[in-house]
Amino acid sequence: MDTTLLQQMLLGALLGISVYLPLRCGQLSLATPGFYAIGGTVAALLSTRITALGGDGASYPISSVLLEMAVAALVTGILALGIGKVVLRLRGIYLAISTIALVEILRVVSLNLSFTGGAIGIFGIPQPFATPEAYVVFTSLLLAVVCWLCDRLERTRPGLAMAAIREDELAAASQGINTANTKLLAFVLSALVAGVTGVIAAHFLNSWNARMGNFDASITTLAFVVFGGTRTWLGPVVGGLVLTALPELLRPVGDLRLIVYGLVILLGPVLFPQGVITPERLSRWSRMLRQRLRLEAPTP
Amino acid sequence: MDDLLQILLNGLSVGAVYALFALGYTLVFSVLGVINFAHGAIFTLGAYFTYLLIGGGVGSNGLLAGFQLPVGLPFWLALPIAGLLSAAVALGVERVAFRPLRKRNADPLLALITSLGAGVILVNLIQLLMGAESHSIPTGSLGSLPPALSFGGAHIRTVQVLLLAVSTVLVGLLTAWIDGTRSGKGLQAVSEDPVTAQLLGINSGQMIQIAFGLSGFLAGIAGGLVGLSVSIAGPYFGIGYGIKGLGVLVLGGLGSVPGAVLGGLIIGLAEALVPSDLSGYKDAVAFGFLFLMLLVRPQGLLGKPLPNKV
Repeated sequence: MDTTLLQQMLLGALLGISVYLPLRCGQLSLATPGFYAIGGTVAALLSTRITALGGDGASYPISSVLLEMAVAALVTGILALGIGKVVLRLRGIYLAISTIALVEILRVVSLNLSFTGGAIGIFGIPQPFATPEAYVVFTSLLLAVVCWLCDRLERTRPGLAMAAIREDELAAASQGINTANTKLLAFVLSALVAGVTGVIAAHFLNSWNARMGNFDASITTLAFVVFGGTRTWLGPVVGGLVLTALPELLRPVGDLRLIVYGLVILLGPVLFPQGVITPERLSRWSRMLRQRLRLEAPTP
Repeated sequence: MDDLLQILLNGLSVGAVYALFALGYTLVFSVLGVINFAHGAIFTLGAYFTYLLIGGGVGSNGLLAGFQLPVGLPFWLALPIAGLLSAAVALGVERVAFRPLRKRNADPLLALITSLGAGVILVNLIQLLMGAESHSIPTGSLGSLPPALSFGGAHIRTVQVLLLAVSTVLVGLLTAWIDGTRSGKGLQAVSEDPVTAQLLGINSGQMIQIAFGLSGFLAGIAGGLVGLSVSIAGPYFGIGYGIKGLGVLVLGGLGSVPGAVLGGLIIGLAEALVPSDLSGYKDAVAFGFLFLMLLVRPQGLLGKPLPNKV
């Protein structure tokens, strides 16, 4: 498979997780592309403006990329904390629309500021890796770490509290769950994942501009989660991988590919209202797998 | 002073389009409680229908390259027909993207995605058939009307007067229908509570279809008018209006018809008043308003207070 496509699929999976985290506690936030754009801008600015980060020449040091990730996480985290405190008072469609507005405001502002390069953006972002294969390895590692953390989260108290809020916010609050803080935690984690993903994307794409975070991106990333499933982290990962690959895989059908893409996101929720990956389906699949293995194993 | 009048007139005519656009969102939102993301695509479709009906030729890309209707209709006839065709498409969208979810009692959130899918399909169908290039409706299609009129020193293009006039008439008719007729009251009842409305003998399914049909008609008309006012900049030109329409919707109050009109006019005027050295920020005006409104008064200017769900 084309490594560039594979890299984009991995980025898609990471963005899927970012949209998934607030949705896990029932909050539809479409702010992910905004934080993704901020992460990318942080990386683009640091790596092109600060020469000390460039190391001794040859290739851009990976330690600097990690540093950029830390800065991006800090910036998006603090922003998300402030914004989340305010917008999370809203619910349902109101929260969704306010986050769309946020992303659009960020886009227009970065389009008009001179230090972000305006409409042209920032070019010549240095390359820490010489080949797309190395990017894929690095991004896979990041995805694996994020998935592992999500898995831990889902088994511990804050993660369970998020699920409880999704099922019934009032009931969760009456059980002593601090709903406001739990929602805020999910929102901030979502922003962190998006910001860090933006850092890799900026290096990988070599240039960064205001169009990276727009309304289309909000909806595409939401489709990852709705398609994959909102109840376990595996859903958005599968959704992100598959839906990012889909337009490319459909290239043989030529001009019809975006129409087929539209059909998939139209029919997906109708056929799988809970998403393709649900905890129930996962446990059924693993049961079937175990049975098959038992049948094939020689009986002692 | 003349400058200010000019700015106000420009702002009003742009605002009138936003209002028409947001009304389409509002109708669907009031009965289903969801936003129809295919609305922008239907608006685009209305512009293309109008263009084809007045006898415009298709450019050199796309499957229909070089196609032209044998007879061109006059604009005043083409526009309502384009509106009706758009309404038919909106009914189709309801059928494939909304009804199956309703039948399964699925999370209404999913309709955001399915309607978006329908929008993607429509936009790309247009691109496939008509190509990605821009088409412009010839200004001569207004017949013998002069290109611009002047009011006390301010010049306003005839198209803008038309925009304002058509929008006013449509909003008036819509309000009269909603408040003054039996089916309009039915729509209000469904938006209040679909199940109770059904129990009282109102056909909720039919009301939902009426809402979609009307919303498609309004989108088609708005598209045709904007297509005449500025050219049709390719199949994606409705998307910007689609997002801005959300701003208008929230500013006025989700589900409120007079709110949508008021919101449209306010945002149109506010955009026109942005000084020219800050014009880059014009597109953020609607969202700035929206954001503030959500934080200060989430139900919007004329919306009903949000019920606290238990």
